[in-house]
Amino acid sequence: MKTITIDPVTRLEGHGKITIFLDNQGDVENAYLQIPELRGFERFAQGRRAEDMPQITSRICGVCPVAHHFAATKALDAAFKVEPPTAAKKLRELLYCGYLIYDHILHFYFLGGPDFVVGPDAPPGKRNILGVIEKAGIDVAKEVIKHRAYGQKITAILGGKATHPVCGLPGGVSKGLVNDEVKDIKDMVASCHGFAKFTLGLFDDIVLKNKAYVDLIRSDPYTLKTYNMGLVDKHNKVNFYDGLIRVTDQEGNETAKFEGKEYATHVAEHVEEWSYMKFPYLKSIGWHGLHDGKNSGIYRVGPLGRFNAADGMATHEANKEYTRMADTLGGKPVNSTLAFHWARLIELLYATERAKELIEDPAITSTHIRNPVGEPGEGIGVVEAARGTLIHDYAIDNNGLVKRANLIVATTNNAGAITMSVRDAAKGVIKKGVVNDGLLNKVEMAFRAYDPCFGCATHTLPGGMPLTVNIYDHKRNLRQTISRS
Amino acid sequence: MKTIVLGVGNPILQDDGVGLHVIEAVRKKHLADPDVSIDTACTGGLNLLDMIRGYEKVILVDAVTREHDSPGAVKRFIMQDAASLHSSNPHDVSLAEALSLAKELGETQLPKEIIIIGIVVRRALDFGDQLSKEVKRAVPTAVRMVLSELKHT
Repeated sequence: MKTITIDPVTRLEGHGKITIFLDNQGDVENAYLQIPELRGFERFAQGRRAEDMPQITSRICGVCPVAHHFAATKALDAAFKVEPPTAAKKLRELLYCGYLIYDHILHFYFLGGPDFVVGPDAPPGKRNILGVIEKAGIDVAKEVIKHRAYGQKITAILGGKATHPVCGLPGGVSKGLVNDEVKDIKDMVASCHGFAKFTLGLFDDIVLKNKAYVDLIRSDPYTLKTYNMGLVDKHNKVNFYDGLIRVTDQEGNETAKFEGKEYATHVAEHVEEWSYMKFPYLKSIGWHGLHDGKNSGIYRVGPLGRFNAADGMATHEANKEYTRMADTLGGKPVNSTLAFHWARLIELLYATERAKELIEDPAITSTHIRNPVGEPGEGIGVVEAARGTLIHDYAIDNNGLVKRANLIVATTNNAGAITMSVRDAAKGVIKKGVVNDGLLNKVEMAFRAYDPCFGCATHTLPGGMPLTVNIYDHKRNLRQTISRS
Repeated sequence: MKTIVLGVGNPILQDDGVGLHVIEAVRKKHLADPDVSIDTACTGGLNLLDMIRGYEKVILVDAVTREHDSPGAVKRFIMQDAASLHSSNPHDVSLAEALSLAKELGETQLPKEIIIIGIVVRRALDFGDQLSKEVKRAVPTAVRMVLSELKHT
């Protein structure tokens, strides 16, 4: 490949932008996705009270407040050298299940699903929840709204506040559960469980029974053979709240398994001059550019990363679905980017099953929900956010103030893979200088599968993420701009 | 009329959080009224819809980015005229989409009127909890506009 001079591209301030360079045949030589990254959190956090971190960090991202809240809380547990009581861990995990329920429902029905349910070639105006209603019916839509709200309500009951929990403290949680709340949560969880199964059935009917979709899922532009990463329990089953970080290779073999606090030994970050994003990679393999394969340290996280990094799901029905997905898509590891959607729905089912176990556990109403903290020091907390492994790493001084804070968020972990997926999708639709009409759709499908959260802490009006694609010819002249706002 | 004044924004993203600063000031100036709720939200789309359901009138106070206005300008919009304006993030639907969805589903608890008091900001990309000078100066104007909306309910 020719060396690329990236003069038309400046580091991005503002909207999402994809820059595509064509070679002299008019085929895609390379493509770059640039996204506004929010900056300066480390500096912002310095000198703040350690116990405020779960509240502050939950504002970093408008999408994963719960994940940040608990990554921060777990980092504080470690920094203050305190092990929370069993009941507190269960309450945290139950809240976490509520978050996964609403987040995964939202993604499937509102964001990623419409590409399939309405169709990848449907106009963008139809590829949204209203298009889904048209196709799946108004009763399904009512169920979607109801169960997303149940997930929210479960987190609100346990977290003390809707959307942004306030319950996480070093050593435990500030709020337990009373019997009335247990009953409410039980009913909601049971209903969500039924809805998760319904959703997998819908995926079956609409996607898996349609050969064109299955072919699309298994097609080359949507295949990446990277390493995979995710938290696992002691039986190597997917876990969201606790466990060890496991890495598997392109054949599904375990290549590393380590505690969250050792992440810096295993993961380093590469900087590319065209992006503010950092590109994490496995240190043992090294950074060898934006390539997949065994010799590239790039890995994937999130539903498909977890699927491949684990040996199964810890609950019965989800595990059955797990096996079925592996069998249907040609065995593990599953490298089809669009299979993120299926893996996400299996996790939705898992979250409802796990929530059922937790809420039926008599220990959940225990009033022993916090242990006294020790002297502050350094601490690292890891959870699986809906979209992948999330790491908070703090140093706290003797006065309980933050000396240093470093965060590796899920979308950053996926940065290399997302960039490659966007490039490959573009390659699939641009041939010999002819830009297929479906370019934006196909590229969007590629990065939407990851459910990325780019600079999404902002609520400034108008919101959304306008996307612009600039296509340059081999002489670096701008040939075409396609945008959608 | 059952009304909610809702400041929307992110408290750790500089000017993005101006809606929250306005609400703080409104709370000090507005006398308790059983028909008026005052709240803040650091969220958008469907969650915002959950918060305004059941109110007849909604006054949203939020940061807006506008090409032709300079930071610190305060604008009043009516939700219907401003379908393209919304509070959302890439993982959520906009409030406008959430509302049309709710209408489609036959919801009856939707507000009759949604007013947006928008304070023009430049999009922030750095974390921080302070407002810029221009935007800080706009807070009293926005507060006055909110109070005047409340007088006419």
